[in-house]
Amino acid sequence: MFPANHKTIFVLDHTPYFGISCENPIEFEFLKSRTPGYIPMSPITKSLWTSSLESAIEYCRIVWDLFPSGKLVRFIASDTAANIINTWSSSQQNLMHIMNGMSFIGIPPSAPPSSRSPPLDYTILHGLRTAVEAATEYTDMQQEKAQQMDGPVLNRCRVICITSARDNDSMKRLEEIFLSVLIQQNKMVSNMERNLKIDHCHLVVINTFPVNMESQVNNHGPINLSSILTTEVHSIKAPLIPHKLSSLILEHYSLASTTVTGIPMKEEQNASSSANYDVEIYHAFGAHTAILKGGSASECRAIREGHDYETVTLKWCTPRGSAGTELQNCTAMHRVTPVDVNSRPSLCLINFLLNGRSVMLEMPRKAGGKITSHLLASHGGEIFIHTLCTARSVLEDPPSISEGAGGRVTDYRITDFGHLIKQNTLLPMKAAHIEAGAPSIAKMKTRLNRHTRYWPLTISSTVIFNLKNFIDPMPALITKEKISDEEVFACKKVIYNLISLESKMEPLHQVSSGQRVKPAKREEQYKAMWNELETLLKNNLHTENHRNVYGCLLECHKFNFNEEDKSEKVELDDALRELDQMTANTAKSTDSEQQRASVIRATTDSPMSPPPLASIAAPAFSRSTSSNQNSRQSGSALYSAQPKTLLDIFAAQDKSKSRPDFVGRLNSSGDGQVAKLYPNFTGDDRGPRADASIEA
Amino acid sequence: MPTVIILDVSLSMSRPVQLSDGTETTRKQMAIAGINAFLDHLSIHSKLEFISLMAFSSLYEEKCPFTRDYNLIKAELKNIDDYDKTCIETAFHGVNQMVLGEWGNNTACQIIMITDGSTGVGSHSLKESFATLNQRSATNQFPIPFSFPAKLHIVCVAPSNDPNLIKSKPLYQRLVDLSGYDGSISIPEHIQGEAAVVTIFQKLAEDTYTSFKGTLKCGNLESKIILSPTPVPYNKATDFETQTLEISNLIEVCGFISVSDVGSPMAVSRHLILPANINNKENVSNEIDLTDDDATDEGKNPSFCVLLHGALKVENMTALVNLGENWFGFVYSYADSKKKSNLMLTILAPGSDVVPWLGDLNYLAASDTVLPEQVGTFPVRPSEKRSYSQNGVVWIRQAGLQSDIQKILRHARKLPEKTMHFYKELNRLRKAAISLGFLDLLNGLAAIFEQEMLQLPGSAHPDCALQLQHAAEVLRKTQNMDIKYTVMPLQTNYTSS
Repeated sequence: MFPANHKTIFVLDHTPYFGISCENPIEFEFLKSRTPGYIPMSPITKSLWTSSLESAIEYCRIVWDLFPSGKLVRFIASDTAANIINTWSSSQQNLMHIMNGMSFIGIPPSAPPSSRSPPLDYTILHGLRTAVEAATEYTDMQQEKAQQMDGPVLNRCRVICITSARDNDSMKRLEEIFLSVLIQQNKMVSNMERNLKIDHCHLVVINTFPVNMESQVNNHGPINLSSILTTEVHSIKAPLIPHKLSSLILEHYSLASTTVTGIPMKEEQNASSSANYDVEIYHAFGAHTAILKGGSASECRAIREGHDYETVTLKWCTPRGSAGTELQNCTAMHRVTPVDVNSRPSLCLINFLLNGRSVMLEMPRKAGGKITSHLLASHGGEIFIHTLCTARSVLEDPPSISEGAGGRVTDYRITDFGHLIKQNTLLPMKAAHIEAGAPSIAKMKTRLNRHTRYWPLTISSTVIFNLKNFIDPMPALITKEKISDEEVFACKKVIYNLISLESKMEPLHQVSSGQRVKPAKREEQYKAMWNELETLLKNNLHTENHRNVYGCLLECHKFNFNEEDKSEKVELDDALRELDQMTANTAKSTDSEQQRASVIRATTDSPMSPPPLASIAAPAFSRSTSSNQNSRQSGSALYSAQPKTLLDIFAAQDKSKSRPDFVGRLNSSGDGQVAKLYPNFTGDDRGPRADASIEA
Repeated sequence: MPTVIILDVSLSMSRPVQLSDGTETTRKQMAIAGINAFLDHLSIHSKLEFISLMAFSSLYEEKCPFTRDYNLIKAELKNIDDYDKTCIETAFHGVNQMVLGEWGNNTACQIIMITDGSTGVGSHSLKESFATLNQRSATNQFPIPFSFPAKLHIVCVAPSNDPNLIKSKPLYQRLVDLSGYDGSISIPEHIQGEAAVVTIFQKLAEDTYTSFKGTLKCGNLESKIILSPTPVPYNKATDFETQTLEISNLIEVCGFISVSDVGSPMAVSRHLILPANINNKENVSNEIDLTDDDATDEGKNPSFCVLLHGALKVENMTALVNLGENWFGFVYSYADSKKKSNLMLTILAPGSDVVPWLGDLNYLAASDTVLPEQVGTFPVRPSEKRSYSQNGVVWIRQAGLQSDIQKILRHARKLPEKTMHFYKELNRLRKAAISLGFLDLLNGLAAIFEQEMLQLPGSAHPDCALQLQHAAEVLRKTQNMDIKYTVMPLQTNYTSS
């Protein structure tokens, strides 16, 4: 919580002293090897300023590569005054801004002639004072949190100062001055709303000098000068500042180092052979937690040569197939950055990854053998290290989905759901449009809801979705949020087409699904089709145009539950209704009537006759009478309120004068007309079985 | 989730206990009876859980590694000896070792410690451990919080009025609090009969192994599901806050993303999605089962889970699901090596920005729901390039500078064909040198160019010498120390033709 690395301030010494050379000439071997008439050049060396600046910039490069936001770094160059290079604003937190700012500052001024009066006050203290002021400024994130928490946040920071002190005393004075500035500044901001008091500051002083000198300043590790200030001092030769900073950065941001070893690379000179190279990368320490905690990584940990930190060596595992096409069990993922960003091996590895390939890293196992522990891959131009689960999984030996509920059903509409998936595949919104509206993911849920208003799970529970060649594009259109007039027309065309097919008694050929579905009778097929189509449309009445399509269906095909709406158009039905009302009383009992009706329909239904007292939602045409009866009963309210068809009336009337009933039924005395079977069969019982049969 | 049972086998556990029915037993025997009851409960309700047994006194011993065969543990319980004193810290170190070795640092575990209310004596007592809590070195950390998400349950086989227990109870509570997850302390009302002890073990089993029951929903299609293992609440810690979050019972599909676009994001945990057996009557009316076979057979009732699994597998897609307020996960088809395929839920860390390359998960949309110019493609690219794809200048090692200079010289020898490259590289180096205040380099490079000019072979193009001369002159001019200035090629008769 509230780590110091949220705010880091580099204070660089820009006094005339830093203009002097490091005395560490850069070699140009490649120039010497040429012609004999070579005139030795004057050596090129970096100044203390260049050395310290490039080290600080390298520090930032690593920080911002690994933490694109939330880890802020500011630069202040100090000479006769403090030169502020950037602010906490995120637009100024990038290398480009720092480099440009530094070019304006230029090289340290040359030492003024000593005769000048008053002498110019060149000192690092200007910078340190400004750094403390800068640390009391809110960052955007602190501001945000302070508002959320409705109170001040803990303000911790770190100041890294690269300077040169004469001896231990002057270093000590510097630390003491810093502390007093800190206390003063805290006092000053205590009653200011715009600033934050500093709760803790970590001052890291890097005392540097040319290679041909010895320092009079001793190193000291972290010392708590006060409850709000911890200081440490590192004396180091200028060319070695980067080394020091790289071990400090690991500490400051809890990073870890991984050396990828055994990367096969083609030689430039000899393209046929390849040599193995190592590349070191930095990333958050979390990427190693899994292997370090388990204690299994002791074999691959070693102190990095020439540095004072540990690196974990993992072996390149030449990728086979495509690791990117499945979801790995990844327990952590962190950005990485190469330590030596411009070396050829680093560039090779980076380009390999940026081109979309990924590589597994192997760790030697304590018990022998190896285990893949990490995955390096790039996503959107950023390289990540994924920590893979190396431990045993609790999901060991899981049951297959086919063993669970619904697992033995074999005719799921997988292909159709595949279409639904494709239709609802997500894409990112462009950044510019994100701020504008409400989260679009909520709309996606509504959309999925609409797409699944009527969606049978299995092939055998639907008719219309198996009749794609007749029905399409209706299902796709009708589930849209809005449909255009042309689309309404397309839907209506589907309905008209079905009507004309029905009138021609064309059989509806199902799209071959590979499933064995009981071939249904043509009439039943049409009946089920109309009913299901009605269900689909009724479930999708999103707009006036949707209702328009539904209306069209009702107009074209007679569903007897909706005749009231359309009554004036159908005089015959009116007549029949009257007839029906007259005869309704003659029916003896609804019970027996229903039995009769179903019996008759099974034998005499024709495609021209109106559909039966349709169950709205029963596509179950192939189910035998029992299911029909169920649906009939469920729709009995409809039934009684609505007129009967001519056929039903016929059946009802016909009943009274029908053929004589079975003798057994006529003779039976019970109310339910239950006849005793084999009444004369009263022979000798041979066991309990006979009892059972008698009771039945 | 895996469970470690750690049983105190110190001498105090073998104290005789007078039961109300007149017989005599020991606390250890009562504890063993309790553990057996616990295992019996699991073997009925949570068969897939891994259990291990560890005995501890001043040392610890792994009696039985993690297993689903609870009879192995029961057998092991029969031969447990008595040892010296209780040392809880050592035991927890052992637990850490054992779990990390087996499950790594990411698997949530239950730890059930069975003891008798004494917390040890001397330097390894719990009291002493707490006293030195803040004076530990990195190599001798207190084992709690554990190195993995862990719930600590402490069961005391001691009467609630035991003076020892009264003293140690706050210490136990501190252990549970330190572990960071809501554990428990169970104490029987009395220990005058085994039944009282058995009851608290059974209750513990019931409380700790409640399975997650929820609903997986995609629009109007849904399925009752069980998640295995049960998800544990997630402690989210950022630079500025910590929160504990639990996933909602309703897991709702928001849309679909292809497996290759998802990549392999970091997962908090992974869970099998098992369709729960549902009552037929809850089926939506328009899904009447057409098979005339026995409708009570669960395997034959269509389940949305199975459909989703099949389609995701065929399409090689994942479903993005919402697990709670601003919390997401992915559902996909997962097959272990044995070709058994199943539906898997990967829970991401809470937040909508946890997978950088997918952008803000709250702002994903199907392509036809928004204007074409508003949608981008996966992966989402950051607004700034990282240093390794920026061709930046790093001269920390001499080799970096040397190779930059060599590159310029290589182009120089191939002038005029490489004029553009030569000046491009020259300007890159010059700009960096100015920013870093490395003016020595500019003069040095000018000198190198002049040197090169003198050493040009006779076959060299005449433009070569002219351009080098020009570049050297420009580099030396101090008024050109502005990074906005760009060195332009010299217009010569040769270049114009």
